[in-house]
Amino acid sequence: MNSVLQRGNSILAYALSALAFLTFCCFASTVFLNYSTNADIKTVKVLVKNVPDFSASRDVNDLGFLTFNLKTDLTDIFNWNVKQLFMYLTAEYVTKNNQLNQVVLWDKIILRGENAVLDFKNMNTKYYFWDDGDGLRGNKNITLTLSWNIIPNAGLLPNIYASGMHSFKFPVEYTSSKM
Amino acid sequence: MDYFKSIPVHMDFEGQHAAEKFSRIIITLFGIVGLIWGYAIQQFSQTVYILASGFFLASILTIPPWPMYRRKPLNWQPAREGDAASTTKSKKKK
Repeated sequence: MNSVLQRGNSILAYALSALAFLTFCCFASTVFLNYSTNADIKTVKVLVKNVPDFSASRDVNDLGFLTFNLKTDLTDIFNWNVKQLFMYLTAEYVTKNNQLNQVVLWDKIILRGENAVLDFKNMNTKYYFWDDGDGLRGNKNITLTLSWNIIPNAGLLPNIYASGMHSFKFPVEYTSSKM
Repeated sequence: MDYFKSIPVHMDFEGQHAAEKFSRIIITLFGIVGLIWGYAIQQFSQTVYILASGFFLASILTIPPWPMYRRKPLNWQPAREGDAASTTKSKKKK
């Protein structure tokens, strides 16, 4: 009752169990770490237009434009259980239509081993900042926050908020579309 | 064909026990070393590679029936002399 195949089976099963245990150790060693850090966000140029949104309803909606500076150091976040970070910049604001509006303006993937010391100047947003009405013009409190989603080898995929945030206001006048 | 049949493929009982014990020890040892090393340089892939090398080492050392696992063969009892009745009895019992 003991053959080459049986021994191979038992060794393989034991090695895979050991691998599962090691993976759990890797998860357990990082699950309670604090992955948040400070991010320095500043807006440079802010303007708002009122143009038809042809991608959706063709209604005339507010479209915000902004450029921003971003400075942060994410080197400490990478450990043996972090494969990549998916960073995204979110604008949060209140309009009379909605208590909470969240628009993702920009994102970036950082793989482990890539440069994680970020210092961006005058960055354009990657995605359109559409409001679903006219809630942007003259809005006094738009908050930009940087967050990242951690993609690990094993374990949770938490969304982490950076501790720095930046609030700005949109101008009260629309910029003409002929810009 | 006779040559292939002449290759011994079995282990004796103590050899089986030793082979299983060795494989467990090797893989556990490589797993512990891999965990420590991987944590030290913060690369989980190194942990996996070290465990895999432990698996291959254990496979080479304990899967083929090396002669060291055949040192204590369980030999047949010497045949009893001329006791035909007892053999028929034992057959009936089965």
